[in-house]
Amino acid sequence: MNLHATPQMTAAEQALVDTYGQLFSDLPGDTAVVVRRDEAVEALKSGLPTRRVEAWHYTDLRRLLSAVPAFDPALQAKEQPALVSGATVLPVLSGRATSVPRVDGVAIQRVFDRLSDGSIAPQLFDGDAVDAIGAINTAFVGDGYALDIAEGAEIAKPIEVQNLHEGGQAHVRFAARAGRNSRATIVERQTGAGEALVSAVSHITVEDGADLTWIILQEQPDEATFLGQTNIEIGADAKLTLFFMNAGGRLVRQEVKVAVAGEGSEFVLRGVNLLAGETHCDVTMVLDHEAANTVSTEVIRNVVTDKAKGVFQGQIRVARDAQKTDAKMACNTLLLTDEGEFSAKPELEIFADDVACGHGATVTEIDQGHLFYLMARGIDEKTARGLLVRAFLAEVIEDLDNEALVEALEEKLTAWFATHG
Amino acid sequence: MLEIKNLHARVAETGTEIIRGLDLTVKAGEVAAIMGPNGSGKSTLSYILAGRPDYEVTEGDILYDGQSILEMDPAERAAAGVFLAFQYPMEIPGVATMEFLKVAINSQRRARGDAELKIPDLLKKVKEAAGTLEMDMAMLKRPLNVGFSGGEKKRAEILQMMLLEPKLCVLDETDSGLDIDALKIVADGVNALRSPERAMVVITHYQRLLDYIVPDTVHVLSRGRVVKSGDKGLALELEKNGYAGIVGEAA
Amino acid sequence: MPAVQETIEQVRNIDVDQYKYGFETLIETDKAPKGLNEDIIRLISAKKDEPEWMLEWRLEAFRRWKTMSEPTWARVSYPEIDFQDIHYYAAPKSTAGPTSLDEVDPELLRTYEKLGIPLKEQEILAGVRKQGEPSELDAIDGNGGRKVAVDAVFDSVSVVTTFKKELAAAGVIFCSISEAIREHPDLVRKYLGTVVPTSDNYYATLNTAVFTDGSFVYVPKGVRCPMELSTYFRINEKNTGQFERTLIIAEEGAYVSYLEGCTAPQRDENQLHAAVVELIALDDAEIKYSTVQNWYPGDKDGKGGIYNFVTKRGDCRGRNSKISWTQVETGSAITWKYPSCILRGDNSQGEFYSIAVSNGHQQIDSGTKMLHLGKNTVSRIISKGISAGKSNNTYRGQVSVHRKATNARNFTNCDSLLIGNDCGAHTVPYIEAKNATAKLEHEATTSKISEDQLFYVMQRGIPEEEAIALIVNGFVKEVIQELPMEFAVEAQKLIGISLEGSVG
Repeated sequence: MNLHATPQMTAAEQALVDTYGQLFSDLPGDTAVVVRRDEAVEALKSGLPTRRVEAWHYTDLRRLLSAVPAFDPALQAKEQPALVSGATVLPVLSGRATSVPRVDGVAIQRVFDRLSDGSIAPQLFDGDAVDAIGAINTAFVGDGYALDIAEGAEIAKPIEVQNLHEGGQAHVRFAARAGRNSRATIVERQTGAGEALVSAVSHITVEDGADLTWIILQEQPDEATFLGQTNIEIGADAKLTLFFMNAGGRLVRQEVKVAVAGEGSEFVLRGVNLLAGETHCDVTMVLDHEAANTVSTEVIRNVVTDKAKGVFQGQIRVARDAQKTDAKMACNTLLLTDEGEFSAKPELEIFADDVACGHGATVTEIDQGHLFYLMARGIDEKTARGLLVRAFLAEVIEDLDNEALVEALEEKLTAWFATHG
Repeated sequence: MLEIKNLHARVAETGTEIIRGLDLTVKAGEVAAIMGPNGSGKSTLSYILAGRPDYEVTEGDILYDGQSILEMDPAERAAAGVFLAFQYPMEIPGVATMEFLKVAINSQRRARGDAELKIPDLLKKVKEAAGTLEMDMAMLKRPLNVGFSGGEKKRAEILQMMLLEPKLCVLDETDSGLDIDALKIVADGVNALRSPERAMVVITHYQRLLDYIVPDTVHVLSRGRVVKSGDKGLALELEKNGYAGIVGEAA
Repeated sequence: MPAVQETIEQVRNIDVDQYKYGFETLIETDKAPKGLNEDIIRLISAKKDEPEWMLEWRLEAFRRWKTMSEPTWARVSYPEIDFQDIHYYAAPKSTAGPTSLDEVDPELLRTYEKLGIPLKEQEILAGVRKQGEPSELDAIDGNGGRKVAVDAVFDSVSVVTTFKKELAAAGVIFCSISEAIREHPDLVRKYLGTVVPTSDNYYATLNTAVFTDGSFVYVPKGVRCPMELSTYFRINEKNTGQFERTLIIAEEGAYVSYLEGCTAPQRDENQLHAAVVELIALDDAEIKYSTVQNWYPGDKDGKGGIYNFVTKRGDCRGRNSKISWTQVETGSAITWKYPSCILRGDNSQGEFYSIAVSNGHQQIDSGTKMLHLGKNTVSRIISKGISAGKSNNTYRGQVSVHRKATNARNFTNCDSLLIGNDCGAHTVPYIEAKNATAKLEHEATTSKISEDQLFYVMQRGIPEEEAIALIVNGFVKEVIQELPMEFAVEAQKLIGISLEGSVG
């Protein structure tokens, strides 16, 4: 995995390899899956990526992943109430998908079964040298949910997939296919308690004309490492709205890989990173415009306080055939402490000439003019700052056109400020 | 000077036909007004005369001084004396208006085999023309059309027309966005250019402009064809009765 | 006699003489054998009559270099360079030479013609800082009497420096680096390698080992250099690497504006150019460094051309100091270049203005680094990239605000323009903040020339290629304005020439 030969495995690398030895006889999978698992472990043996690997420039996984807690089968997480009431909950508790409820218009399957019959194998680690998350997840994944939304189905209530743990290790996978002209909202929850290594990989396919909203709410405990990866393919005239909120974890890497593959399709990304304590949070997006007349907009807002470190890497690639691409990306950061850090790498890689692409990135402190204005109205500085920071983030959340979701996420915001404000 | 014969043209990208069998003749020295309701193809006609690549001529011909110009690119047509005063002049950031004038004038002179204009002579001409149009020379140091008001843009168009001394002037809705004082100034500029060697095609939606630039002939366009021609009285009639009568009559 | 004419005359006179006598008597062989080893380095050092410490410095760099590997992170690709297949030292010959018209490549002559540069070599030199077109249009005046001192570096050796006496009267030292090492060893030793350390990067380390010449500028305390200083670099010899080293020091309150021009004739083989430029600005000093880079870019099929692997870095060492880089990059097959500023002094300022034009098979990976270390430091980056043909053009830049750099400010604007559908435009900024009072703003756009604009300009009788050049020159105006007048005119023409053939 590491492009440079590593003479000796780190403790974490050794622990990962050992975990595989411990688990592999219990892991589900046919031959195709086992082959991929073995490849993934080989990749891990050759070392986790360091900052010399460009995709991991700001997150030296080899150095930062200092320890890997042991897998403990005795720990059992409990289901949580849904983010918005009325949602259908699909819980994965300590790595096990425990119930398969019925939802009209959606065929739901356990990933355990798809591993066992090998049908999920093509989505597993394929040897990509920088795909450390794919490798870790492939090595250990045991369960999760696969959702198949029927053509033309309009799923009124959100479906919420939960990945919950009580420490140790949890490796899950979600797959979703939104059939032609279907509409649905899916919430992905990532949380738990205690020291943990969590990996979660999703594959989302939005077929022609479908409109899917996917919300990721990550609230890992302070001791957890969270490695997330969302793979997206969008068909013709289809739309995917991806929203994420990172509000926890010690070491977080959230990868988003998007193929805007069908003509006339649209991708919307809105993200909020709430970074406090000693969090190191890295959001890395690679967005490929592969077809003509496609649109994408990304707005990422970050608040960094305490000794937290934030990273946003956003790469927009426009293929030669993707004429009339309209791609806009913005990453704005409020850096509130001198111990905090934020690094942004917004990249454009453009091969089609008839395009309008742009990105903006800012790192600033709170606007002194705004602050003064509020204080001149008698609001004390602390409250005024809180109001402004909150407004800065709420703007992005309010872009979602689902009131219940906006409300629920704003509550999360309030809760975060109550502990970190 | 200008002879348009059974012209059919469409938008290159979509194939939508806009000009559908248009005939028009404008003689040297003549000022022809083209009027018509929105969407009748007036602006398209001006673009096709100037050779905009977004349109395809599918049938018919445009003769200028007896020669077809369909195969000529916009720069060649301009050098041959075709000038279009745009309804919406483009902003060209970073290119000073004066610099642009110099390059344009000398490109045309080169194409015609004339010697390039020396800077002092150019300056003199520009000052004179700008004076006529009551334009501030300081404006000419600014990038072309960037941050110009609607009226300033239109004046700048006429300034270019005066300096380039075309033989066929096509004015596309030159009156739009002008207040009455500016309109008079612009019209004076245009009238000063009227001459027996020069033809003008004045495209307008309203009669107002024709009070100041009095046309020799008036042609009404509807659905890509000339549906009625007459003298300046036709414009007054349109002002009074609107387009509905004539357009309906033709249809 | 007008100043420019005077410069031309001086160059003309000295040029011929020095080629004939100066170097002939000084060196026995005019070209070192191909290959790189300690003996070659000793030879270079001996040819230059260098002190022992200099040789030791070179040898240490060479030993380091042998342990290093070529960087691969830039978006450029080229076949492996055989560093043993290069001549590391070549002095200009007394016979033949570039003054003979027959030997100059016709393609290059055509370029010079269009630039309005006379054909003979000394006149080409004059062309570098030729007065521009009459400037009534821009209402710029007072440039008529401006003087420009020139240091001309052909292949490995500085052949001439003009206006030395006049500069000396002001206390300014302007000479070749070889001469500086001999005549001003203390100054050189104090500053050389302090901005770009020996082991900084692969090419810089190689340069340290084998650099053959370059320019040296020292502007003493409180002196505003009375004229523009200019170096004209030219690669003539086949298979010869050019490794120049430039060191500019502006003492407290000093000011200097320095211009650099580069050309090379057409060759089938790729030639290596790996320069190092170090700038040091002390308290209240200002250095303005402008480059018009027009090395041979290779032919239509991508054959030949210069590999331009350059390390340029300025150190705003003093309070209130300022370093400003302006570059117009139109040449070279491959450009790998990141003129940077270390904003060490409180209130110091760094600027980077860049135009990078790529056509044919050119590959450009260029940008800057602004390292904010001091308090209240300000940086500004304006980058305009134009890609045409089958070229790839990458802006790569880093803005980094360190923990103690309170109130740092950066503004970055990167615009890319694509002409045609076989080229690529890429923007790779790294924005890093470690201080809450930092204010960093970055914006980037990529688009093509608008069809509407092009039609409008052509409607005024301006042919397509000229219309594109005109619009492109408008697009880059913000950067052109940063260039001294003499360079601005040349740069605009160069951009037009570089884009020739970009329209199908």
